[in-house]
Amino acid sequence: MNHLPRVTGSCLLLGILLSGCTPTVKIEPPDKPIVINLNVKIEHEIRIKVDKALDDLVSNNELF
Amino acid sequence: MKTRIMTLLCALLLSFSSFAISLQDAKDQGLVGEQLNGYLAVVKPAAGVAELVKDINAKRQAQYEKIAKQNGIGVADVAKLAAEKVIAKAEKGHMIQDSHGNWIKK
Repeated sequence: MNHLPRVTGSCLLLGILLSGCTPTVKIEPPDKPIVINLNVKIEHEIRIKVDKALDDLVSNNELF
Repeated sequence: MKTRIMTLLCALLLSFSSFAISLQDAKDQGLVGEQLNGYLAVVKPAAGVAELVKDINAKRQAQYEKIAKQNGIGVADVAKLAAEKVIAKAEKGHMIQDSHGNWIKK
């Protein structure tokens, strides 16, 4: 008969702990993925530019 | 003086055209091949081939360096991308390096 208050107590504690944790977890993700996406875009643009420059170069019959 | 300039011009013109032919000839005869690093290499040694390869590679390197500088990337990266293109567009019967670096006839 003494168990019931203990169980409700630990459930409450768990609830408080969980709700206490969630805000910090939720705030972090948005920042990092955006930075990574930007880098990929810039690298992609450079690759396309280099690709075009090389296409022009490679069609030079004196060197290739 | 005038004749000297004319001879010089003629010599330049002649060397230029014979040079352009010799690269294609060297390729057709399988004397030179395209490496994975974007530079030409001697496959079968013959007269003048080593000089031709050296000259072509120096000019290629200068072009690779220009593109690398314009885009802020490494020269080796540019050369490697060039190798992919050159090997892909090489004519049938010309020598190219496979992924292990062995010479094969395309």
